[in-house]
Amino acid sequence: MAVARRGRLARNRLYLAGLSPAAFLLALFFVGPALWALGSSFTNRALVGIDAANPRFVGLDNYVRLFGDPDFAKVILNSVVFVIGSAIIGQFVLGLLLALLIDHAQLRGFLASNFVYAAVLLAWVNPTIIAGFLWVAMFDFYNGSLNTGLHVLGAQPANWLGEGPMLAVIIANTWRGTAFTMLIFLGALRTVPSDIYEAARVDGAGAVRRFWDHTLPILRPIAALTLLSVTMATFGTFILIQTLTNGGPAYQTEVIALYAFHEAFQNHAVGYGSTIAVVMLALNLAFAVVFLRWSRARA
Amino acid sequence: MTADLTAVAGAELATDQLATERLAARATAPAPRPKARAGPLEWILIHLTFLVVSVFFLVPFVWLLSAAFDAKATAYIQFPVEPTIMNFVRIFTEHDFGRVLVNSVFVAVATMILVVATVALAGYSLSRLDLRRKDWITYAVLLLQTMPISATMVPIYGLARQLGLRNSYLGLILIHAAIELPFLIWLMKGFFDSIPRHLEEAAWLDGRSKLRALVEIVLPLARPGLGIAAGLAFLSAWAEVLMVVILIDQDSLKTVPLAFYEAMRTQGGYVEVQYGVIAAMAVIYLLPVMVVFFAARRLMVRGLMSSTRGL
Repeated sequence: MAVARRGRLARNRLYLAGLSPAAFLLALFFVGPALWALGSSFTNRALVGIDAANPRFVGLDNYVRLFGDPDFAKVILNSVVFVIGSAIIGQFVLGLLLALLIDHAQLRGFLASNFVYAAVLLAWVNPTIIAGFLWVAMFDFYNGSLNTGLHVLGAQPANWLGEGPMLAVIIANTWRGTAFTMLIFLGALRTVPSDIYEAARVDGAGAVRRFWDHTLPILRPIAALTLLSVTMATFGTFILIQTLTNGGPAYQTEVIALYAFHEAFQNHAVGYGSTIAVVMLALNLAFAVVFLRWSRARA
Repeated sequence: MTADLTAVAGAELATDQLATERLAARATAPAPRPKARAGPLEWILIHLTFLVVSVFFLVPFVWLLSAAFDAKATAYIQFPVEPTIMNFVRIFTEHDFGRVLVNSVFVAVATMILVVATVALAGYSLSRLDLRRKDWITYAVLLLQTMPISATMVPIYGLARQLGLRNSYLGLILIHAAIELPFLIWLMKGFFDSIPRHLEEAAWLDGRSKLRALVEIVLPLARPGLGIAAGLAFLSAWAEVLMVVILIDQDSLKTVPLAFYEAMRTQGGYVEVQYGVIAAMAVIYLLPVMVVFFAARRLMVRGLMSSTRGL
């Protein structure tokens, strides 16, 4: 047994060595920061001053403070609203509808479907910070294209970033991320065998019936995974909201990643910011484990 | 082998495989999908919807182009009031954008080289590793893949400060490389899995070392995968902004995302927003992304679909 094990290890020694540079980088920038955050969350570590050099151990103080913090409750609520609004209702539903429409149009041979496909993709591939800038201009109160458009249609201009900031960031994130869901469903729809449709059509089943009975069951398993994946990505949103509203006004769009950032870099409370990061990582880990279980079950 | 891979794959990876299979199927046989004729009402309805969708997705870009070439750009879309290329000239003369561009290219290229070398080694090793718990390693890599960098921003800042990695390109390059590793290791493992082992085993019998066999026999066969890894690593380092913002605050080290970020931030308050200048920066920033996007759309799609990590 021991000999067999040693033989196995000897055989693999070079391969383990080959993995080591990657393992080093992953340990340094993924595992390391996670442990650093966990360690700092038990201290009063600050950004500057004496508590920066010599942080003091404060036990669970940060966690006690966090769970009694009314701002944090608001932040969690904001994150949930943002995820439901932009990931689930926005990106997921719009992406699914667009995939169905484009797939149908391709079936009909409409060339415009290629153009729409490219337009949706274009919004997705550009760096997120540019997306933020574009929507700052779109939402501008006095000259923004959105309000000018509303004016032309005879409607009142809206103070998007001032009075409806959550709706504004949801619209911007829907714009940016819809392509992901659309691509996944377009891929899945191509695997729906067309003879099923033909048989159903001959049987006299309507379009809605055909979708419900034949398309949906094929999309369902992948839909669950996509939903989780979009949720995870949206939960971590930072730069888009930071460029648009920076969490404001009055914490109305402050989501969890922004809160950790502001506590650490504006209030100089690195220990407290780390505590928020730990909570965020724990929530994300829970999502990720479910996600990997489902994808394993699916295969 | 494929089943074993999908067993631990995330949705985007599984779908990516679907897409690949689809492309393969399309290459071998044209899709035998029937084309039914549409009624005029259906034609109108579908095209109206397409029009609305296209307007929503394209208007911001139309504005960006009009603003970048307008001396009197505002937040409103209009044909340039005073058509000009001065905005582009100004970012180079007033904002030192030339140096910023050089810095960005340097960081992105260095990241690309480091990533390709690391994932070639790691992907190959993971593919050939023969341990009972090998699945666990792949599983752990995928778990890291889902970790949002926006959550580790604060700790990475603290850690980098303690390690002296702030305001250094070494730190920036290492971290940009690390961000791309989990997905690319997984991707490269798939490529190496599909290369039969007997090729390298024959080379070993010829007396070549394992490393030489890898470099001379296996890597040339994995070239498409390495190309994808290189492209994605470059684009990811080019577009990444969070780490740049927290790690760099020296003017001479500034890269494009940071210059853009600062230009946006300092324009607030009572200063009139210089939309034209920022738009010109954005156009240049977008250029490499667009080139790769149109040149290799499949590559981009495959890679970006992996970014479940928040941005």
